[in-house]
Amino acid sequence: MSGPNEDNNTQLSSHIFGDLLDSIIVDVASECHRIAKLGLDRNLEEEEEEMRLSAQARARVADPSNSSETNTKYVVDIFGQTHPSVATEIFECMNCGRSIAAGRFAPHLEKCMGKGRKARLKVTRSSTAAQNRYSRGSPVSTYSPYSNSTSTNRLSNGTPSVAGEEYSNGTYEEPWNKT
Amino acid sequence: MKHSVNRPPTPDAAEDQGKEPTLQEIINIKLIESGEKERLMELLRERLIDCGWKDEMKALCRAHVKKKGRNNVTVDDLVHLITPKGRASVPDSVKAELLQRIRTFLMSAAL
Repeated sequence: MSGPNEDNNTQLSSHIFGDLLDSIIVDVASECHRIAKLGLDRNLEEEEEEMRLSAQARARVADPSNSSETNTKYVVDIFGQTHPSVATEIFECMNCGRSIAAGRFAPHLEKCMGKGRKARLKVTRSSTAAQNRYSRGSPVSTYSPYSNSTSTNRLSNGTPSVAGEEYSNGTYEEPWNKT
Repeated sequence: MKHSVNRPPTPDAAEDQGKEPTLQEIINIKLIESGEKERLMELLRERLIDCGWKDEMKALCRAHVKKKGRNNVTVDDLVHLITPKGRASVPDSVKAELLQRIRTFLMSAAL
């Protein structure tokens, strides 16, 4: 191909390419501008909101007048809700079937499932042999009826007072434990 | 007689006859009329998206908007922001491909 025409061509091509590129750049800028103005970029929104809220929270913490006035009984959580100090939802105890309030559930389970003296007596009421064992520390042969009626309770009872007593007995047999 | 009778002739007629269209303009018209300009634009757009160029430019814009606050940004700002970086960061292969196609068109347009 001959000289001058070739150079002209190259120059023209570059110029045309530049034009195309400029148009595309304007398109991209326009698109980004639109997204920014319409708030379509979720990340941007969330970040602005978070920054605002964290600044607010920081101000509240730093404010000395706040701490003394806060009523500790009725503290408001981040959703603006207040909670009573004892949980009030009612559940059914899986052991005895009674309706118990959630806040009173743990102490109830303690009594009901066997931490306390009364509960253990309640559980072993059905077999006097096991009751004897409790009061006298008797051998393990009396253990099997005991385990049949109460194995599930025993398994779930994690309190050391009961378990320790059983395990300290050297001849402790645990067929039921393996099931 | 009314003054309007003596008014000078309307300007556009005179202007049209006085100027010759430049080479640039002729080519531009040929590009547009043949539809080649549209095709070239689409090709370039596609290539720039594929190589991540568009994402880079959008990231630049987003950073700028975050800094200035989204209500203080104009299209002009963004164009001036992107143009130098945009022109510099087009991959060579993309540029070469487009230039080749443009040159082919110019030659086929018999110039």
